[in-house]
Amino acid sequence: MGLTLIWGVMNVINLSHGPIIALGMFGSYLAFIKLGINPYLALFLIAAAGLLLGIVIYMVAVHRVINAPHLSSLLATFSVNMIIIGLGTAAFTTSPYNVDFSMGQIQIGSTSLLGTRLIAALVAMLVTGSLYIFLYRTRPGKYIRAVANNRAAAELMGIPSTQILALSFGLGTMLAAIAGGLIATFFPFSILSGGGYELKSFVIGVLGGLGNPVGALAGGLLLGVLESIIPAFMEASWVPVIEFGLFIVILLVKPSGLFGAKK
Amino acid sequence: MNILEIKDVVSGYGEVQILWGSTLNLQVGKVTCLVGGNGVGKTTLLRTTMGLIRPWQGSIHFEGQDVSRLPPYTKADLGLVLVPEGRQLFTDMSVVENLEMGASNIRARSKMKQNIERVYEMFPRLKERTGQKAGTMSGGEQQMLAVARGIMADPKVLMIDELSLGLAPVLVLALFESLRKLRDLGITILLVEQNVQMALAISDYGYVLSEGTN
Ligand SMILES: Nc1ncnc2c1ncn2[C@@H]1O[C@H](COP(=O)(O)OP(=O)(O)OP(=O)(O)O)[C@@H](O)[C@H]1O
Ligand SMILES: [Mg+2]
Repeated sequence: MGLTLIWGVMNVINLSHGPIIALGMFGSYLAFIKLGINPYLALFLIAAAGLLLGIVIYMVAVHRVINAPHLSSLLATFSVNMIIIGLGTAAFTTSPYNVDFSMGQIQIGSTSLLGTRLIAALVAMLVTGSLYIFLYRTRPGKYIRAVANNRAAAELMGIPSTQILALSFGLGTMLAAIAGGLIATFFPFSILSGGGYELKSFVIGVLGGLGNPVGALAGGLLLGVLESIIPAFMEASWVPVIEFGLFIVILLVKPSGLFGAKK
Repeated sequence: MNILEIKDVVSGYGEVQILWGSTLNLQVGKVTCLVGGNGVGKTTLLRTTMGLIRPWQGSIHFEGQDVSRLPPYTKADLGLVLVPEGRQLFTDMSVVENLEMGASNIRARSKMKQNIERVYEMFPRLKERTGQKAGTMSGGEQQMLAVARGIMADPKVLMIDELSLGLAPVLVLALFESLRKLRDLGITILLVEQNVQMALAISDYGYVLSEGTN
């Protein structure tokens, strides 16, 4: 969702998305283990830190290359990616951590559902809903859409587009950090584990149509359903093969995404 | 009294120089028009005036203040507004959202309600289509919306690039009529026009831009 927001607004593929998810995970870990804060309360801290971090990354690394060809912004965000992974490795090594936190589980027929997963799904929906309301009902949200749609016209109307772009990047980063904080409540993780989720974000983004937050949630749900169904028919190791196969097919057949993004 | 003074402005794109020292003054409360052949640099002059491109040399004064180096959004805050060539609407947003975005600058925000009434009165067509996506409207409707969005910005000086382009003559007359009303409200107007006769008919002053100088 964060990825798709950043792409939608500034046509930048954010390759630092993965490590920021990982940072969100460590944020949750540090808050829980060292400070004893409930992981869900910690989400607020993680969100605020993510927003700030995103704005800083935008100002330092992305702003200069935003109008440059895609390769420049890919390289810029990839460098940020490497820097975060490098620092993270120094601080936490690459060994796995986990947040030992449980919300019990719910038994539905023969399958059981972890409470932490259920809450994560609810929070994800809540965040999507809020993002939607923010983009469509509030003034800063509409500014983001205006800048995404026509940056020069937005400037002419009195919208400071650089600030709006920084805000969008901050929000995208915030969403990644929140995702990390949620995932940490039910999966073990290391500083490197953001990468896998980043790849998934790409698939989800393309499924739902990049630049379309609601499509991203729908794409995420679809991917989740696929992941739980596929192992019933074949080896679980086939899951990524099928996912990326699907990814390529959709890119070829309907490049604007299943739920048709703009452009 | 001049509200906008453009003096010896030199600018262009990259290495290519287009304007070779253009001068233009706008009398407060009047309609001025700027004509000139295709490709002489009228749009370039407006873009430079707004700060979408930086002037290489020369100065731009608005209400006596040097605004040569200010970015477009700050100029909009001061009351200098451009309806750009090719409309440049927020095509993915609705009509009413485009109008709201027009009222983004600090001066216009508090007057949004009042200005939206004014705009709907001038263009009843827009009132019927508030929820429609701007990109799906007809060319003429889009042109109305572009002008309406400019009015929403509560301008002191409203500059309009190619108002009449692609519009039926009846509609052009109606739009010019609306502009006259705006002028009577005290708004200074700069029209850039291909349609010389019509433009001169409603203008108080006229300039001709040729080969980048005038
Ligand atoms: N972005 C750009 N990059 C390079 N050259 C440009 C650019 N925009 C315009 N030009 C060139 O600058 C010159 C002046 O263009 P401009 O759009 O200012 O003309 P104009 O007087 O507005 O013409 P028209 O009446 O056709 O709108 C033209 O030769 C055009 O090709
Ligand atoms: Mg032009």
